[in-house]
Amino acid sequence: MALNGLKKAVTLTPSVCTLPSGVPAAPLINLAVRAPADPHAHGHSGPRADVAPRWSGGVSRTSSGLVSKSYITLPSTTPFTARFMHTSVAVKSAPEVPDFSHYRANDNDSNRALSYFMVGSLGLISASVAKSTVTEFLKTMSASADVLALAKVEIDLSSIPEGKNVVIKWRGKPVFIRHRTQAEIDEARETKWQSLRDPESDEQRVKKPEWLIMLGVCTHLGCVPIGESGDYGGWFCPCHGSHYDISGRARKGPAPLNLEIPAYDFNDAEGKVIIG
Amino acid sequence: MLSRQLSPGALRKAASLPAFGSKNALRSPRALAVRNASTASSSTAFESFLNSRITLVSVSLFTAGSVAWYTHLYGSLPFLAQVHASHASDEGLHPPQYPWSHKGVLDTFDHASIRRGYQVYREVCAACHSLDRIAWRNLVGVSHTVDEVKAMAEEVEYQDGPDDAGEMFMRPGKLADYMPPPYANEEAARAGNMGALPPDLSLIVKARHGGADYIFALLTGYVDAPAGVEIREGMNYNPFFPGGAIGMARVLFDGLVEYEDGTPATTSQMAKDVVTFLNWASEPEHDERKKNGIKAVILFSALTLISLYVKRFKWTPIKNRKILYDPPADKTH
Amino acid sequence: MSLSTTLYNTFFRRNSIFVGSIFAGAFVFGIGFDSGVTAFYDRWNKGKQWKDIRHKYVEAAEEE
Repeated sequence: MALNGLKKAVTLTPSVCTLPSGVPAAPLINLAVRAPADPHAHGHSGPRADVAPRWSGGVSRTSSGLVSKSYITLPSTTPFTARFMHTSVAVKSAPEVPDFSHYRANDNDSNRALSYFMVGSLGLISASVAKSTVTEFLKTMSASADVLALAKVEIDLSSIPEGKNVVIKWRGKPVFIRHRTQAEIDEARETKWQSLRDPESDEQRVKKPEWLIMLGVCTHLGCVPIGESGDYGGWFCPCHGSHYDISGRARKGPAPLNLEIPAYDFNDAEGKVIIG
Repeated sequence: MLSRQLSPGALRKAASLPAFGSKNALRSPRALAVRNASTASSSTAFESFLNSRITLVSVSLFTAGSVAWYTHLYGSLPFLAQVHASHASDEGLHPPQYPWSHKGVLDTFDHASIRRGYQVYREVCAACHSLDRIAWRNLVGVSHTVDEVKAMAEEVEYQDGPDDAGEMFMRPGKLADYMPPPYANEEAARAGNMGALPPDLSLIVKARHGGADYIFALLTGYVDAPAGVEIREGMNYNPFFPGGAIGMARVLFDGLVEYEDGTPATTSQMAKDVVTFLNWASEPEHDERKKNGIKAVILFSALTLISLYVKRFKWTPIKNRKILYDPPADKTH
Repeated sequence: MSLSTTLYNTFFRRNSIFVGSIFAGAFVFGIGFDSGVTAFYDRWNKGKQWKDIRHKYVEAAEEE
């Protein structure tokens, strides 16, 4: 007991306590007090120490006449816990207010995994959406359905007799279709194609030996060759005298390449060829 | 709580600091009124401007002038209801809402109905109405197979050319050809219909208020003209048509067509089928669009929710941090 | 070892694996999501779409 009394006597009264709301309060500190004079103020002195400052009271005129007031600092009327000199943290008068425990994760591992999972899911769906967006955008650059519908031409092969040429229009260009006879096929196959200007075997140029289908545009300067003429029994270009054989290969004249073969497919069931 | 603990002197000081800058301890009662110093002078000027007689007079003159100008421009006073010569029936009856099989946000067209509707169009409507924007190929995979459409297209002759001799020639239709029009041009169409132009039906469902409901109501809504309504010779009365008098006569009657799938061809069945077909013609992308809509809604809502979570996650340390000010030590002493 | 720890050690520990699995997952997800939505859509609209009624007309054409 005596020790406690001694302790109290030599301990300064605490200046800080915590309210139940968690706000620290310093009831005995008069925040309005200023130093009487600052020796470093270089002539700009503070309030005069010999005159009572205005906050301590004074005379004011009210409707009921002159009133003189003076204020003194009162001790706090609320209880507070004494803080001793060695105490570094203000004593809390209520437990854990505000309470953050609700916000704290129970399990750091699962919390971390969840956070990564959410970030990963965001990336995953974003990547998927971005991919669809880009592909859909690129699709708008491809040919539209009406152009594609015109890009294919169907020809009924049964109407073309053996040994005859037919010229049709496909994408604005002429296409030669020749129903070759067996003799013509043999002639095309027996040619020594390795020594030609643009070496191609007849097997490479036709899908069915009796049907030769190629673009009717001279590979020299784009004229349309004439069928069943020329030195090799094939086509002859009247513009500059290029000769093509019965497989459409350039044999003589300025033409550098064989006549081009378009993409085509046979529809055997209906006896038709679809060019395009 | 805080105020009780602070000394009254400190409180009074704090309260008096921002409001008063004057030095004298004794102030007049007028100066004691709490005012916001920064707006005091301007609010006075504004108030006096508002209260001035010149303002009142000029605003009144401006209002009267505006009304006079409006009346001069448009010939009637503004904001006043007017008696119109037209009647509400000029706008046509509002069509009822019908339970279309493709009405819901997840519902596709009923393609069997499109197929029947095409039959109705071909056998009935196509006599007068064109369908310019629909090609034969559009029917493939929607209501008919390729072979069926090819056969249908080949029944129609199209002009093509020029051939080798420079002549235009006729050839049977192909998949890429568009639906043949009933009239060669607009003048022929008007001449064949007493001056009325049968509209092209490609986009008719989109082009009319009420859409499919309107077309259905119109097709099934022919009645005798009520007493007092004069319908000219060659016109027909239809309450759903704006104005009531329509050049097109009732065309759909029970049993007019014979459906290949055995559906009874009542008037309303045919109207429903042909409207479904026309709705498809207006919106061929309809089914795909709704499917994409489902995908977009799911994906974007998921993205929104997850990005909200990630935003909170990323902001947590920012919102929870404390900023400490560590003043630099004064080294002059 | 809990599921979350396994998950973390498998996918999230190394960034290369994390990013790699995101892109691989996006690929798989795109296909799966498309087919899932399509399956739902076809179920919802059973009997209405062309693919549901196509067989009637294709068989009829082949019989001729």
